[in-house]
Order: sequence, then structure tokens, then C-alpha cells
Amino acid sequence: MIKTRTWIVIIAALVVAAAGAILSIRFFGAPGTTAEIVKGGEVLYTIDLDRVAEEYKIEIGETDGDRNVVTVKPGMICVSSADCPEQICVNTGWASKDHPYPIVCMPHDLVIRIVGTNGEADAEAG
Amino acid sequence: MAKRIVTDAVLAAVALVLFVIEAQIPPIVPIPGVKLGLANIVTVWALMRIGAPDALGISLIRISLGSLFTGTLPSFIFSLSGGLLAFVAILLMKKLLRENQIFVAGVFGAIFHNAGQLIAAAIVYGTASVFVWSPVLILSGIVTGLFTGLVAQLLTKKIPKTIGQRRN
Amino acid sequence: MVKKITAVFFAALISAAFTACGASREYSSDFFAMDTYMSVKTCGTDATGAAEDEARRLETLFSVTDAESEIGRLNANGRVDASDETVELIEKALEISGITDGALDITVYPAVRAWGFTTGEYSVPSPEKIEELRDLIGFTNVKTDGNTVSVPDGYMVDLGAVAKGYLGDRVRDILKNEGVTSAIADLGGSIVTVGGKPDGSPWRVAIRDPNGDGSFGVIEVKDKCVVTSGGYERYFTDEDGVKRWHIIDPATAEPADAGLLSATVIGEDGALCDGLSTALFVMGAEKAEAMWRKEGGFEMILVTITGDVLVTDGIKDSFSLSEGSPYELKVIG
Repeated sequence: MIKTRTWIVIIAALVVAAAGAILSIRFFGAPGTTAEIVKGGEVLYTIDLDRVAEEYKIEIGETDGDRNVVTVKPGMICVSSADCPEQICVNTGWASKDHPYPIVCMPHDLVIRIVGTNGEADAEAG
Repeated sequence: MAKRIVTDAVLAAVALVLFVIEAQIPPIVPIPGVKLGLANIVTVWALMRIGAPDALGISLIRISLGSLFTGTLPSFIFSLSGGLLAFVAILLMKKLLRENQIFVAGVFGAIFHNAGQLIAAAIVYGTASVFVWSPVLILSGIVTGLFTGLVAQLLTKKIPKTIGQRRN
Repeated sequence: MVKKITAVFFAALISAAFTACGASREYSSDFFAMDTYMSVKTCGTDATGAAEDEARRLETLFSVTDAESEIGRLNANGRVDASDETVELIEKALEISGITDGALDITVYPAVRAWGFTTGEYSVPSPEKIEELRDLIGFTNVKTDGNTVSVPDGYMVDLGAVAKGYLGDRVRDILKNEGVTSAIADLGGSIVTVGGKPDGSPWRVAIRDPNGDGSFGVIEVKDKCVVTSGGYERYFTDEDGVKRWHIIDPATAEPADAGLLSATVIGEDGALCDGLSTALFVMGAEKAEAMWRKEGGFEMILVTITGDVLVTDGIKDSFSLSEGSPYELKVIG
């Protein structure tokens, strides 16, 4: 049987280790894959894709004919739907650290770009 | 037999209520997966006092119905994964713990619950990036697990041994 | 044990913190020009502004949608007195048309419009209309006499298939003049590089997968251009369920149908890579291979409808297929 005191020591050690890890991440900076959602030249959102834990959506655009819906998942981002005629932004698919392809909706002056990554590729031809 | 069903059903209901109530409270911290886990009080107590099969049943009912009421398909998968891993962890701990060490089961149960959720998230989303959250979730697991574990321990002392005990 | 794990954790974090330029300072700027999104990254020296200026300048010359541009006026009046750059680019495009038997044709624009690719109002033109269009396509009728360019009545010229590659050449020259030795620019999907990365390693350029999200492979380059043509960005599905894309075969005035899903050209001359990638897409694998053997001066990566990735000999060591890719790699040697 393990003494209660031993258990307390084990738990305390875990607390220290976890706290240490958290502080280091804050201090050194986590590996960054950041996505910037830029509308009309203005950066609306900066999202650290590596910190995303659950899927969520962002609606961009106030008026009909100017709408894009962005979906963010851990490590990835895409335009899941839009009301532009050509749907190029939707057809582009998911951008991520390894596929740093900018997602562009020209009619809506919207760009989603991946910045600051050192993923598998430096650029994507297409 | 009927007594057993009734006891288990009541416990499942209690766990469900705790779960739903907790879901209404806005999260303290904006990180998914960090929550008190009040329903685990019931799981830990049931496992320690009644036995594994019943505790498992209660837990599964709570996870399924709870997700039905408050969650989405992905969150159900995460809850299930976390719940099962936590259950296995506490089951193993049962051998190692004395009655006044039940709070330890709470701690490790919570840690493994969060681990199970992270693993499920990594698989569902196909990326290991979610593990960046591990240290935070270990820490919150320790804190919340301590709380739920101590409550469960208290209840084992206070609730008479006759309740839940199966006659055989 | 836990301490060990955390230590490994830190190490991984630190090593992952560097950007594309590595230890050098990275300068980048991005902007919309030539109807597309462009982004320029230079290492060590900031010259991104000059690149943007050149893009806008060329746009005022080449833009087919701008009635005041040299191309706009050419299309409206049948002739124009053009600047050196415009004439240079037109003559380059005609050269490429010559060696590809017209697979690239800058006069194919009326057909692109008729199919709705300029407005988003897609439709299949009637057989009569398609006949008409064929009479309006023919690169041999584009004449240059000094700086005067002329085309027959009803013809319309569009430099879209070569302009971004040409811009790439200009940008590369400008950056080199500013003393930049390491840079990479994404000009609407056409990639141009100056040197390699500051540490001497090559730039890694991924290539869009025409069949889905992400890329199917990576090519390593130094000082080269990489341009891909494919129908996967602008297309519509017609009543019979057939995918119709914006790359038109000049011979038929209909979307190209030669068995390729994408064609990538790697080389030093950006305008050549740009124009060739369109031409190869129209020509199909067999003709592309024949042309490559005959002309040389470039390398290519073709993705066929049957799931093959054809890669020429010269880049077989610098191209790698992505892990778990369903494509079959074949080297043309």
C-alpha cells in the first residue's frame, strides 16, 4: 500500500512539471502557424492554428453579396461557404502549415494567409 | 435485483443532473475541456463503493444522455473517450488506494479524462497540434480532480455502507 | 520521467521557432494586383516595395479588363503603339505559340468570355457560336512592327497566360538589383525565386493537388520559376455533369481535354514557364513529352487523369511525392 504522503508528493511533482511546461511555452513561444484573416487590407483576426482545440466558424461580411464563412480546425483553416459568384475561395480548400496557400476571395477583398511558419513548404504553386 | 436497478438509475440521474447544471455555467477559462467535472463525483463514488460494472453503466448513461442534451457529435466522442480512459485509470487505482486516499483517484481520473479527450481530438482532427494543451489540462485535471475526489471521499464516509451494497 | 518529457518538449518548441528565412530577417509584403493575390518575401534586405510597384506598373500596361491599358486599347481599336515591355511579352508569347503548334494562343480571349469565365455567369455556347469563335482565334494574325501591334477585326488579346511569369522575371531582376540574394515570391500562384534560402538550402515549393486539398509533392529550387496550370480553380459543371474549366484549347474554342489535370513547368525564364504550363495542359502528356525532348530548356511535372505524376529526368532528384499520396510517380528520361 502506498502511503498517503507519497501520493501527495507524486501529485505535487506533476503540478510542478505541468506549471514548468506552461511557463516555458509562454516564454519561448510555441511553434507558430498563424493564420491572418485580412479584409479590405485590414487584419481582422490573427489565429494561432496550433492553439485551436475545437472546430469553430467565423462569419465575415455584413451585407449580402459580401459574405464568407471561415471554418477553423486545429492546424487548418478554410472558407467553407461564400456568396461570391465564382467560389474560387471555397474551391481552394484547407490551408495549413504544410499547405501555406493563401485563400483569396477577390470580389470580397478577403485574404486568408498563413504566416510565420516553417512547415514542409515555403510556398505553393498553383 | 430491482434494488440494484433503482440505485443505479438514481445515481445515473444524479450524475446527469450535475452534468447538465455544470454545462449551463459559462466556462471559467476559455479552453475547451477545462471544467469541474462534477458528474465524476458520482462515478468515483460508485466505483469505490458499489463496483465496476455498475459504475461503468452509470457513467456511460450519463455520457450518452448528457451529450444528447448539451453537445455535438464531436463532443460526444471526446466525452466518451475521456470517460472510458478515466474509468480504466480509476479502476486500476482502486487496487492501490485506501478509503482515505480516494481523492487520489479523483486526481488521476481527471488527468486521464482530459488525456482521453485530447487523444480523441487529435484523431478526429487528424493533427497532433492539440497536444500543446497537455500541460494546462494536466494542471486543471489535478485541481478539479482533487475537488471531485475529496467530495467523493467525503460521501463514502458519510453515506451509510448499506446503500448501494449488493447482497451476496 | 516527467521531467525528461518536459525537457524534450522544450527542445522541440525552440527548434520549431524559426521562420522561412531562418536566422536572417524576413521582409514580406502582400497585395492584390493583376486580378490576383501576390506575396513577396525577401531575406536580409527589404525590397518588397519595388516588387509591388512593378506589378502595378505592368498591370496598367497589360490588363485586359482596363480599357485604358495598352491591351485594352489594342482590343478596342485593332492596333496600338505599345511600350517595349508589352511588345517583348507579346513576341515571347508568339514564340511559345510557334513551338507548341498553337497550344498557347493569346487570342483565345473571346472564347474565355463566351464560356462565362470572365463574369462568373457560366454557360456552354451553342455549336454555331463555337464555330464563330474558332474564326476569331489565331496567333499568326497578331502582327508586331517595331512598337506597333495590330490584330484583325473582332480579335481580342489577353496576356493572362504569360503576364505573371513575365512579372516574375522583372521582379527577380529588380530584387537582384537591390542587392537581394535570397527571396521567394508567390505571384498569383506563379512562384519565382532569387537564389536559395539564406543558409544555402533550396526553396521548397509545394504543388497544388488538382484532385483535392493541399499539395501532392514538393520541388526544391534555387533561382528558378515554378508555374502550374490547371483547371481546378475556375470551372463549372455543365448539364451533362462534365467539368468545364477556364483553360481553353485554341484549336477547338472549348475547354482543353487532353487528359491532364495540371501541368507545372520549372525553369529560369518566367514568361516561358508561365506560357508553357498553359500550353502543356492543352497539349496533353504525349505531345508535352515530345516537345520537351525536342526543345529542352525546362523541366515539367504533369498530373494525368489516370492518376500518374510524370516528372522529367532533370528534376527527379529534387522532386518528392508527398507521403501517402495516391499518385504513381513516373520519370520521363
